[in-house]
Amino acid sequence: MSNPDFPATPSPPDAPAPPFTPRPYRLQPRRLWIVWGLLAASLAGLGFNLYRLQILRAPDLMEQARNQQMTYMRPYIPRREIVDRAGNILATDRLVYTLYAHPNQFPVSREAMAQQLARPLTQDAEALLKTLKVRDSGIPLAANLSEETADQIRALKLNGLELIRQYSRLYPQQELVSDVVGYVDLDHKGQAGLEYTQEKALERNLRTLQMSRAGNGALMPDHIPSGLLGFDDQRLQLTVDMRLQRVARSLLKQQVETYKAKRGAVLVMNVNDGALLALACEPTFDPNEYSKFDLTLFKNWAVTDLYEPGSTFKPINMAIALEAGAIQSDDTFYDAGKIEIDTWEIANHDYESVGGRGDLNLGEILSYSSNVAMVDLVQQMDPKVYYEALKNLDLTVAPAIELPGAAAGQLKSAEQFIHSPVEAATTAFGQGFSLTPLKLAQLQAAIANGGLLVTPHLVRGLVDAENTLVWEPTDHPVKRVFSPATTEVVLDKMAAVIDAPSGQSARISGYRLGGKSGTAEKASPDGGYFSDRKIVSFFTILPLESPQYLVLVVIDEPQGEDLFGSTVAAPLVKSITEALIAIEGLPPSSP
Amino acid sequence: MLQRSYTEKSQWRQWWLGWQNLDFFLLALVVGLTIFGGVMIHSIELRQGITDWWQHWLVGLIGLVITLAISQFQYEFLLQWHWPIYALMNVTLVVVMLAGHTANGAQSWLTIGGFNVQPSEFAKVGLIITLAALLHDRPATTLDSVFRVLAITMVPWILIFVQPDLGTALVFGAITLGMLYWANVKPAWLLLLVSPMVAAVLYGISLPACGIWTALVCAIAWFTLPLRQISTPIVVAINWAAAFLGQVFWGLLKDYQKDRLILFLNPEKDPLGGGYHLIQSRIAIGAGELWGEGLFNGTQTQLDFIPEQHTDFIFSAVGEELGFIGSIIVIFAFWLICLRLIVIAQNAKDNFGSLLAVGVLSMIAFQVFVNIGMTVGVSPITGLPLPWISYGRSALLTNFLALGLVESVANHRPRMHFR
Repeated sequence: MSNPDFPATPSPPDAPAPPFTPRPYRLQPRRLWIVWGLLAASLAGLGFNLYRLQILRAPDLMEQARNQQMTYMRPYIPRREIVDRAGNILATDRLVYTLYAHPNQFPVSREAMAQQLARPLTQDAEALLKTLKVRDSGIPLAANLSEETADQIRALKLNGLELIRQYSRLYPQQELVSDVVGYVDLDHKGQAGLEYTQEKALERNLRTLQMSRAGNGALMPDHIPSGLLGFDDQRLQLTVDMRLQRVARSLLKQQVETYKAKRGAVLVMNVNDGALLALACEPTFDPNEYSKFDLTLFKNWAVTDLYEPGSTFKPINMAIALEAGAIQSDDTFYDAGKIEIDTWEIANHDYESVGGRGDLNLGEILSYSSNVAMVDLVQQMDPKVYYEALKNLDLTVAPAIELPGAAAGQLKSAEQFIHSPVEAATTAFGQGFSLTPLKLAQLQAAIANGGLLVTPHLVRGLVDAENTLVWEPTDHPVKRVFSPATTEVVLDKMAAVIDAPSGQSARISGYRLGGKSGTAEKASPDGGYFSDRKIVSFFTILPLESPQYLVLVVIDEPQGEDLFGSTVAAPLVKSITEALIAIEGLPPSSP
Repeated sequence: MLQRSYTEKSQWRQWWLGWQNLDFFLLALVVGLTIFGGVMIHSIELRQGITDWWQHWLVGLIGLVITLAISQFQYEFLLQWHWPIYALMNVTLVVVMLAGHTANGAQSWLTIGGFNVQPSEFAKVGLIITLAALLHDRPATTLDSVFRVLAITMVPWILIFVQPDLGTALVFGAITLGMLYWANVKPAWLLLLVSPMVAAVLYGISLPACGIWTALVCAIAWFTLPLRQISTPIVVAINWAAAFLGQVFWGLLKDYQKDRLILFLNPEKDPLGGGYHLIQSRIAIGAGELWGEGLFNGTQTQLDFIPEQHTDFIFSAVGEELGFIGSIIVIFAFWLICLRLIVIAQNAKDNFGSLLAVGVLSMIAFQVFVNIGMTVGVSPITGLPLPWISYGRSALLTNFLALGLVESVANHRPRMHFR
């Protein structure tokens, strides 16, 4: 082949002439074009594939990339523990496992799997097999498995089994404090009691974490918020004392059973700040197995349900009258045993056997629990003043306790109360209006602490590992409703109740107590009262020299003979008070 | 004084004259790609705690010196030495078979003075020199010339195939076909040459397709081969034998090799095993979108989702961090390199030089296509590095060696001007 455009190069004369070979391989244009075409097509093909990946499929691939590079996780941050005043655990999170089966990945037959799983799961192999046949994947086999059971299942080394780790709330005290603590549902959300109302304090700032994941599966800490790993070890501490609560619970349970009562409640309150040392209702539920219990048990009826307090309200009326200046501490009031107001007949509970008692001083009124004398007493006040005073006690305001559903008391309307004399008369001995046991305790505490309406509460605050208080609730308003002079008189009269023969069942030798019983007839929904349905109660205040505690017991619808506050509730109050004295180490009163 | 300064200037001029015909554009493209490769390797190793990316630049620099040195030499010198080169190549391949150590399933590494050397890489240049010398004075227009070339290629090819280094074996095939084509072989013969392989593949896929293919081959042989009554049946017999042997060899291949070969068609079949690489590479490139996630910022790359990314899968890092634009620029650069290689081949002063350039062109173009094709999912995983960009000292040096030969061809091309 000749090379027309190839001018002969003159070789340097002194160099040996290189062997000149003709060049047959200078490509014909056609061949050159094929080479060009092949190259261009190949590279254009690559370019097109890049276009397909990076432009057309880019959003999809981008998403795939993000999905595999990012992992979102709700970290296993346990809910805070709830502890009592001494640090005993009332509620805590523990690791449990849920077992899922995926039969389509089983290495052996479902029958063989069922046989192998029966022992660690303590389930019947037949029943397991039936469950395993439901579908091919994602069968929940067992929940709430302990670490040990999970280990046993792992040790089987079988494919197609999946153990999902999660936190489960454990209530080691079972039903002992359930009506205070409440419970959480399967989603770890509080559904009753403090678990419900204190959600914010109990949840540790749960954030969904976003983390980069490397190709080998390692999580990169680049998006982790600071302070995640050092989450606080704070616990929610209650004012409740488990020792006292246990005593209160078991005695109450016993008493409710003895009297076949509908229900009962015990309240132990620090009268000076409103802290509740014990709060128990019977019957109750086990929060570990809440689903097995009736819904109505999940409320704390001492906080949510209203009742007519009866005679336990008499000291309050006395304080109102004293505060209003309508009576003096040494006044006497006439007890005819029975009176009629409008068309209503009002008699003492013991009128049938004792009849009228004549003039009674304040102490005698309380210890005899004279209804008629109390009517005389409140009639010294203008009904309007009396009504205003009742309102001033926040009877119609729900106490700001941390439990859900606290109820406000009910009073008759001002008009009815002022214009119908029988209203004030019935209110005088604690009927015709209603309040919760908790509200009654708060009012009695005001008598005990020198006239302050304190906020009843259960939460002490958040404490750290060293039991140092790092947060405490601040919304505990205090309101003065009586003067110390007034409450001193009433306290003194309440001591007379215990000292009287009828107070014997609550008396504790060596200690000066104040107290009052109540035996109320329950209001019938269609007006009037049931004569056979009673709600009996008793409370004591101690130590009388410098009151610190109030113990209140309410028993709803006890059955049997001799059903009075002084017979059914007072012995219980006494036992609980004895426990309280022992626990708090209260010294006996100086003689 | 005057005299001396003149001589100095003249000496400098002489020194410079040795290179003044270099293809500087080609050189600049290659140096640019090598620098770029170092940056990409650095990006990949950024969060792995490895800092040997600078070795890529160091080896590149050594390679550049070699290139410049070789380009000064008269390449015809190699014509007399091509048999010793061929012998040396085969001997090292035998040595690596006996004394080499294994990595990634292939026994292809020799340790010389503390460095790991991959003789099969250097063998590519050896083959190019050998074939160029063979075809230099005997064009492939006759069957015996073609068979001579094939027979001589077969020895190192088998040695590499048994390592087994499938990628390099394929590069050998590409180099041989490219150089035969340039040496004026009939295109139909090239077709007949690859026909047994096609038959073997088709046999595995569908029997009727294989039948149609052999009929076609039969026709081509009939019209292009001499002694058609004898040669045509032989070609058909070879095709059938290949189809049968293909099945046998397929059975002999190790599973990972099979996976590498066919998984690219459907990587989702084994997303955590053999397909993982391909899927992750595609995701990375796709996530780059038009402009890329930015150098050092590709999440797939930085989170180390792609194994061996700094070697064979480096293009996925380019695709992710620099996007479609960056990828196209890299492909364009390779296209320009191929262009310059063709121009040098066309303008070489003799067949030997022309064939050297075409051999290098075949090697580079095939590796670029297969490597990038692998990362975007149109070609199988064969373990071929991307020239000048992938990390790998032997491959990088080989490519600079090849560039040196081509630059020598360019440097000694007939000058267009008298002076």
